[in-house]
Formats: sequence, C-alpha cells, structure tokens
Amino acid sequence: MSASGARLQLVSVSKRFVSAEQGVAAVDDVSLTVEPGELLTLLGPSGCGKTTTLRIVAGFEQPDSGRVLIDERDVTGLMVYRRSIGFVFQNYALFPHLTVFENVAYGLRVKRLGAGAIRERVARVLALVGLPGYERRFPNQLSGGEQQRVAVARAVVVEPRLLLFDEPLSNLDAKLRVQMRDELSRLQRQLAVTTIYVTHDQEEAMAISDRIAVMHAGRVAQVGTAHDLYRAPRSVFVAQFIGRVNLLSARVVRASAGGAVVALWGREVTVPADGPAAPGQTVSLVLRPESVGLRAEGTAAPAPDVAIAGVVRSRTFLGEKVEYAVEVAGTSLQAVSYDPLRHGLFDVGARVQVLCAPASLRVLRS
Amino acid sequence: MGPAPAPAGSSRAALRDPVLAPVVLLLWAAVALFVLYPVGRLLALTFWDDGPTLAAVRELVGSWQHRRALWNSLVLAALVGAAGTALGFAFALLAVRANLPRWVGTVLDTIVLLPLISPPFTAAIALIFALGPRGLVSYHVFGISGLNIYGLGGTLLSETLTYFPIAYLTLKGVLANIDPNLEDGGFSLGARRWRVFRTITVPLAAPGIANSFLLLTAASLADFATPLILGGTKFPVLPTQAFLQITGLYDMRGGAALSFLLLVPALAVFVAQRWWTERRSVVTVTGKVGAATRVKSLSPGAVAALVLLCALTVLLVLTFYLLIVFASMVRALGADNSFSTAHYAHVFSGGLKAIRDTLVIAAICMPVGGLFAVVLGFVVARTRFPGRRALEFAAMINYALPGTIVGIAYLVAFNDPPLALTGTAFILVICYVFRYSLAGTRATTALLAQVDPSLEEASASLGARRDVTFRRVILPLIRPALLAGMTVLFIRAMTAISATIFLVSLSWSLVTVRILEGITNLELGQASAFSVLVILLVYAAVILSSLVMRRLNAGSLGQAGTLLGG
Repeated sequence: MSASGARLQLVSVSKRFVSAEQGVAAVDDVSLTVEPGELLTLLGPSGCGKTTTLRIVAGFEQPDSGRVLIDERDVTGLMVYRRSIGFVFQNYALFPHLTVFENVAYGLRVKRLGAGAIRERVARVLALVGLPGYERRFPNQLSGGEQQRVAVARAVVVEPRLLLFDEPLSNLDAKLRVQMRDELSRLQRQLAVTTIYVTHDQEEAMAISDRIAVMHAGRVAQVGTAHDLYRAPRSVFVAQFIGRVNLLSARVVRASAGGAVVALWGREVTVPADGPAAPGQTVSLVLRPESVGLRAEGTAAPAPDVAIAGVVRSRTFLGEKVEYAVEVAGTSLQAVSYDPLRHGLFDVGARVQVLCAPASLRVLRS
Repeated sequence: MGPAPAPAGSSRAALRDPVLAPVVLLLWAAVALFVLYPVGRLLALTFWDDGPTLAAVRELVGSWQHRRALWNSLVLAALVGAAGTALGFAFALLAVRANLPRWVGTVLDTIVLLPLISPPFTAAIALIFALGPRGLVSYHVFGISGLNIYGLGGTLLSETLTYFPIAYLTLKGVLANIDPNLEDGGFSLGARRWRVFRTITVPLAAPGIANSFLLLTAASLADFATPLILGGTKFPVLPTQAFLQITGLYDMRGGAALSFLLLVPALAVFVAQRWWTERRSVVTVTGKVGAATRVKSLSPGAVAALVLLCALTVLLVLTFYLLIVFASMVRALGADNSFSTAHYAHVFSGGLKAIRDTLVIAAICMPVGGLFAVVLGFVVARTRFPGRRALEFAAMINYALPGTIVGIAYLVAFNDPPLALTGTAFILVICYVFRYSLAGTRATTALLAQVDPSLEEASASLGARRDVTFRRVILPLIRPALLAGMTVLFIRAMTAISATIFLVSLSWSLVTVRILEGITNLELGQASAFSVLVILLVYAAVILSSLVMRRLNAGSLGQAGTLLGG
C-alpha cells in the first residue's frame, strides 16, 4: 500500500464566516506548502482557524479568496469527492449502520472495485492498523481506540494523495493518546503520504510532526520544526504557546555576529538573535524555565553564566521535577529543576542565586 | 478546536453541487406546480375578473347565509378548541398526575388512538345511531323523542370526541415534563393542593394548553365531514358551504371566495400555533430534574372525578365504535336488528372497486410521499441553498390549509387542459403527497438532528457524491422517519376526504367517498361496514408499522401518533 505523496500548497487563503456556536471564525491570508510525504501539524488554540484551514484543504469549506494546489493543480473549486483525500474526524464519524468491514470498504465500493480486490485491501489495511478479525463488528461494539483505528483504516485504504487529521486523539484518554500518536506516526511514515494534522496539544504536535505551523487568530504565526519553534520563536505568542517561557527585558548595547550584545543583570552578554538589533533598543529575551539554574546564596557562579540574587516565592514538587517561582529584581521568574533528589530543594523564602547561560537565551524580535 | 462543522458548506458550494442543484430545482418545481400554482389560481379566481376586483368577496359578505357560515365556523372552532382541550387536559392529568397503575395509561392510549385513525364520518354516524331521532340510546333506552342532534350541539359533541385525543397527546407530554419537585416546592411553602394546581401546574402547562387549543381550533375549522352530516341547513359552516356552492350550484367563483374566507382564519391559527411552539417552553427552562418524588397534586376526590369523567368519555367512544360494528352486521339498526351479512356482501362486491382504488392510491402514495418527505427533510436540514426557508414554508402550505381549500384549488387549477388531471389517480396521489408528507419531513429533521454532519463529510471524503451519500449513509439512518412518514400517508389515504372529494371520478373513487354516499343515501349499514373495514385496515397498518419500528429500534408509534393531528 504505497500511496504516492502529493505536494500541497495553500496560496493566500482567506475565509471569514459567522457561525452560531463560535461567533466569527476566520482564516486570514494563510500560505503554506506541505512537501510530498511530509507530516505538517497545524497547532493553535481554540478558534485560531486551524480546523477551518484543514476543512478548506479537504473541500468541506470554500475559501473567500486564495487557492489550494495539489501537485501544482488548482483544486480550489473541486468538490470534496474528487480530491482524493483521506479525512480522519475528531469523533471518527464511523457509519453506525455498517460493520467495520463495510466502513473500511465504503470508499472502495464507491470506486466500484471488484469484491475480491475489496476483500483483499480491507484485510490488508485492517492488519496494518492492528485490527484483523474485527470485520463483522459494528462501531458501537468497539472501544474508542479501536474506533480510531477503523477511522484511520477507512481513510488510508483508498490510497489518498492527502491524509487529513482533525484532532484525532482528543477523545482518547491520556495513556492511549500517547500510544495512538506513535502508531499514527509509524503508519504515516510507512505510507509516506502527505499529511496535515490538526491539534491544540503542543506535545502531540512536537512528537508527531516533521514541521509545525503555529496558528494564531487566523494567521500562521510561524512554521518550523519542533526544535526551531522551541529554540527560536519569532513572536511572544509562539514563545508562550510552545512550552513555558520567561521573557526578560534587556537593552541592546551593540550588534555582534549572529546575535546582539545586551545588558542583563549588570553584565554585558552576547545572545543569539535572528536578525540585526539596533543599539539602545529594548528587546525581550526568551529564557526557558529549565534553563534557569538555582544555587544557594553565596556560591560562585560558573564563568560564562550571568547571575542575580533572588528569593523563592513558591515551590511545586512534581516528583521528576520541582517548579519554582523566584522573585528577581521585582519580577517573577519560572524555574524548573530536574532530579530534585540529587539537587536538593529550596524552601519558600530562601535566598538563592539565579543563573543562566547566555547561549540558552534568545533575542525575540518585536 | 476550530469552528463547528457547518452543514455541508456555503450556499455558493450548494449551487455548484451537481446533484443538489437539480434536486432543489425539482423540489421547487413540484412545490410550485402543486402548491403555489393551485393556491394562486384560487386567489386569482377570487380577486381577478378582467382586472382586480372585490366583487366576489363583497357578494359573499353581503350574503346573510355566508356571513352566518363564517360566524358559525369561528364559534364552532373556538368551542371545539376549548372543550377538546379541557377534555384532553383531564385525560392527561389522569394519565400522568394520578399515580394510577401503568395499564390504565396503556388502555387510555389505545382507545384514544381510535378517533385519530378513523375515517372522518365515524363519530357523526355513531352519534346519529345513538342520539338521533330514533337513536338507540335516546329513544330506545331513555324513550326521548324529538332530541335534535343536528346543529351546533351535535357537531360540537362529535368534533370534540374526534379531536380531543390531539389535546390529550400534546398535554400528556407537557404535564409529564413538569417536575413534581416544583409542586413539592409549593406544598413546602404551605400551599394547599388547589392553590398549587392553580399557581404552579396550570401556569407551567399554559404554553401546551394554548398550543392544544390552537391545534384543535385548526382541526375544527378544517373539518368538513362532521358538519356535512350533523350541521344540516340550520348550521352552515364554511367548508360545507364551499362544497355545496361548487357541487350543488356549480359556482366555482363563489366556492373559491368562500375558500378564501376560510383561508384567513385557518392561516391565522396556523401561524399562531407555529409561533407558540417555536417559543421555548417554560418547562424546559427548569433544567435538571430533581429527585424522584411521588406526585401528590391531586386529591383523592379530584382523582375520582377525573376517573368518572374519563370513564364516561371512554364509554361513549367505545359505545360509538360498537354501534358502528353492530350496525354493519344487522339489517337496519334500530328498525330491524336481525343479523345480516348483506352490508359486507355489498362492500366486497359493489364496493370492491373503491377499496381497490383506495389501496392502490395508498400504495403509490407511500413510497412517493415517503421519499419526497425524507428528501425534503434532508435538503432543508442539511444543505444551504438560497430560498431554503421559503421552500420549507411553501411545502407546508397544503398541510396548513383546510382540505376543502386545497381540493377547490386543485379543482380550479387542474380541471382544464393543459393540466386536466382531476379524476385521475395521479392527482389523488399528488394531493395526498403534498398534504400529508409533513409528518415524514418532521420526523426526518428530528432524526437528522441526532446524526453528526461529519458522517456525510466522511462519505464525501471517500469519493461519494451527494446522491451516493444520501442512499448509502443517510437513508439507512433515517429509516424510522421514512416508515413513520409512510404510515401517516397510508392512514391519510385511507381516511381523508375533504380535499379529494373534489377530485374523485367514476374511474377513481375512494372508500371515504363511498361512506359519504352511503350516508346521503341513508344506507347507514353500508357506510358502517365500510368504516369498520377502514378502521381494521388502518389498525393493522399501525400495528405492523410499530412492529417494524421496534425492529428498527426507534421510538414508538405514539410519537407518530402525535404527528397525525390536523
């Protein structure tokens, strides 16, 4: 079952509409390219336009403007049933009156394949999703995870050129979600089918995606690999949406190769940046909580690190890690310390030295 | 999560859909030809005579007889609405507020269904048998002679007994939805039963009471059969006047104008009823149902009074039906009570053609009307195209109008070439399809509300066009609605007369028309035998349908029963 991956392009796609349930929803000038065989995730909070974008790709919605291209062919006006897509719905949308076999065979019957070919392909795809022997069951006799697999089987059995997932795991419990996530990822790589995956769960997105497009208020805020987005967010929104973040305010002293020299906590340090920063400008520095080091007051800081005195204001013990809120120069910093059994705990009210390595900072373009 | 899936895209997309667009056009064409065109012709005949004119209406209003018919119709409708609602309310109270054993409710439901599925003259004939000049009850039991059941009194009694089940079914649902804990709240504040009933129960049921009143008023306004038998010349009402104007005086324009006079109050009542039911019921606002509590709002005395009233009513209804059965099996009820099969012999010889015609027409109506109903319901509920609401409304017009108006409109529109269709089986089928498909359409929209739109999208994403999706996914899921719709069509095709009496011919006749002929020829035994046959056929259909429905694992026909009104 080798589905040939198609190349998908969205060119300046916009859509505005008013729906009774959600108020005004919109997709605003979205342009994206998904390479053949790639898995791209649309990630964003509720109402950011990610599902609408997916539905425009599927053909369930028509954009007000812009174009959808599959392998350079304009399919914007093409009806859903001519697009050769596989769509996996949040609620699975299995046909309740049909057995597992007939659900999976549905697309093949519509294509008028012979009975033998249908039997063979359904058997093959059910084996692929780990459900051999389930042919005669009805959807209401299946668990959530099993229904999910049938939905995936039904979508891939027709060998679609695009596979589209709309929050497929959100109805499963946490443990099953992780397991299904890995299975979907394996299956997608095996089939090498171009895939768009919509989710609001950043961990899921980071685990499964080749690239992630973070969406905000109908627009694409940033596209990149999970590492890019985490390490080099280009906006406050992306920095805050992917993981947790401290934003430190600092003044640029001068530009330097690949970054900027800024004044932080009474020292001048060189910090990586995407573009040039003008001297005298105030910028935000991204500092992830796990990059914040805490030490007992009075110990000497390692040479490259910047240090400042702080007071622990709260402590949350979570077993594998401890989360602190530390007050530093009038503001609150989040800090995470892993392996607390080894590093010890600081009490609330303790005076500490707060450290960070300049290499772990990043200038956020404003 | 993004925005909720809209039903099948925008209206622009709907117009591009290669299947939907022709279907919508076809529906519009059918509704235009068989709903809008006849009503338009009727209005044109009333208001156009080489130019706009009010002559026909002025003539009507000038006629003392017609003014009285209008007044009588309105008075009768209001009285039937009030009396039927009161009786229905008593039955509903007894069923859900009196803590009676379950079987009492079952018995009530079974008997109450009888008048709803009977041919139109049943109660009227039975009333003549029971209380007529030589009535079994009035003359032979009580020795009263000279009791006059013709006129307002008899018509009111007969219509009330025929239509109160609609009120009962409506109000039973309403009362069952009132949380007894609310009444307990009243008791806890020191109120006594009568006060709780007056200040809590009745106000909460008020929307249902108003709805029931309007439903019954509409049914009475439209009723043609009862006043035709029992109204007599002293109590003319609009539907019978219009009928006589056309069949007696061959005055189409006069009949059309009378129809218009009837159309105004009928439409007003229909619109009022829709308005009431579309307002959110007060009852549902109370939210979560509290702990189960025994209903204590009726005192033992009140229960006894209700039992007495309902028992008497049930007894009366049963007597009526037994009388009909009895009359069909004796030579001449009242005069010669010896057993005879002559009436049934006639039914199965001379009457066979009408039975066969009726069954053929019913058999054609069911698939045609059933499919029309579910396709219309699907298109209206699940697609977006310009004029969707207008189509929904237009398709309802023939249902909302009294049958007499629809019949006259069809007569006006389809009596002459190029559309000379009256007297054909075709026009009879069309008449039923456009008048009685609404039940199926409503059942379809109700069922579709529980079917997630993503099922259709899943089908489309797998390469299925909309017609394939409809056939393979939607139709199997709404089979119960199709069945309910077809059952209603069968019942109506077996029992309706007000519209089709204008459309029958020698080549296509109907059982109900034969019943009417039997009555006018004073062959009440034959009429009774036909009625018994129709009741048996319809009951068989209802039982069969509910058996199939149980297999389809969907609601009972009690729900379809509520759709039968009007």
